Amino acid sequence: MKVFQCNSCDYQSISNKYVCPKCLKGKLEELEVPSTGTVYSFTDIHVAPSEFADIAPYTVALVQLDEAKGKVTVRVNEPVQIGDKVELENVEKGAYLYKKI
Amino acid sequence: MTNVYVHGIGMTQFGTFIDRTMKDLLLDACIQALEDAGNPKVDAVFVGNFMGGSIYNQEILGAIVANELGLGFIPTAKVEGACASGGIALRQGILGILSGEYNTVLVAGVEKMKHASTADVTQAINAAMDNDSNEKHAGLTFPGFFGVLANRYFYETGASKKHLAMLALKNREHALNNPLAQFRKPTTLEEIMDARMITNPLGLFDCSPMTDGAAALVISKEKSAIHIRSSAQASGPTQMQDADDLLSIPAIRESGRLAYEKAGVGPEDIDVVEIHDCFSMTEMIAIEELGFFNKREGWKAVEEGRTKSTGDKPVNTSGGLLSRGHPIGATGVAQIYQLVSQLRGNAANQVDNPRLALAQNLGGTGSYSTVHILERV
Ligand SMILES: [Zn+2]
Repeated sequence: MKVFQCNSCDYQSISNKYVCPKCLKGKLEELEVPSTGTVYSFTDIHVAPSEFADIAPYTVALVQLDEAKGKVTVRVNEPVQIGDKVELENVEKGAYLYKKI
Repeated sequence: MTNVYVHGIGMTQFGTFIDRTMKDLLLDACIQALEDAGNPKVDAVFVGNFMGGSIYNQEILGAIVANELGLGFIPTAKVEGACASGGIALRQGILGILSGEYNTVLVAGVEKMKHASTADVTQAINAAMDNDSNEKHAGLTFPGFFGVLANRYFYETGASKKHLAMLALKNREHALNNPLAQFRKPTTLEEIMDARMITNPLGLFDCSPMTDGAAALVISKEKSAIHIRSSAQASGPTQMQDADDLLSIPAIRESGRLAYEKAGVGPEDIDVVEIHDCFSMTEMIAIEELGFFNKREGWKAVEEGRTKSTGDKPVNTSGGLLSRGHPIGATGVAQIYQLVSQLRGNAANQVDNPRLALAQNLGGTGSYSTVHILERV
């Protein structure tokens, strides 16, 4: 999994930014980290927009990556609780699909 | 101190008006505001609106107002900032006066939503998220963001779904006394707790409804009894995964901080508040971010009834977005309608002799926030 690390402070994001939004001066540099992480929070979406209606209810989680400061928003293939260990299973249509370990 | 004053306010009934057009609602609110202000000469018009283009096929709202009301060939604009469109329209009007370009500005907000299907409206509302992101592709929705936030809030504090229900019930009880509110049917904690799940843990009563409605204000550098003591705006992360602290919405905190600083007052000085409760959880976070209660302790204040109209920090005496209704572009303007009514002493759920009032209007999942502090002078 790719994350972007500021070269002048501890800011990290799953997506690149032109200038670091935290220190307002650093540039972000690409960093490869393991996809494993811990569920920081989650929701089960029962009322879905039309493009996801066929898979509702589904679970979206905010995952704290184990070896990075950054968090990533993912879809999980089963219900989860805060603290559950999860890892990347697949990338599909631009979405990170995770599963419980 | 802006030295800009509110001279007139207008607002339509909020609710379902299949037989009324967007133009009809918009002009109705504007005419009320102009009459309330004594029909002054207007130098510019700013209209807050979010989805007139996408679900109603109607733009050029500013020019329509000027033309239909016979205001002359004055400059006008439609302002879009998702659910903060109304608050930003007001701020643009204030800045126009502060620049010296205008003396008097008509600010309005309108939305027409109930003619469209829920699926079409949901799709249109999703325009207020960053759609070119892995987060959107994962299926995160607008309410979903606040569901994720709520589950973490419960995890880190002693709060539970019951506290969100108490907050939603409080706003419903306020709406019962507001003749312009969308929902005036009494409910119970049990009904709120047992309602259909939208996005865990948020149920139907935790989410603001689709609403038709409009509101308008006349503001001017000429003096009146209602001074806009400060106007502030901030932006924040447009994606959940970019939040440094999930239980913080920096745009709310920063716009509040700037508004207090410009006004030379603090949260303890504010007598009555309108907050952007697009979801029950949003009001919970906002009462903390605006400094009314300690971080992660807002739920205690709700439990103690401190944010009821009878409490020491009355929040959403109008019924809020949850029960007064949320015609998106009109919301930020309708908040000011309620606060001016409070300062004039003739509001629904009138609080005792308020002097300072604060309105906070949020756009997106924390993308935009405006704060205005009003003062009775
Ligand atoms: Zn940095």
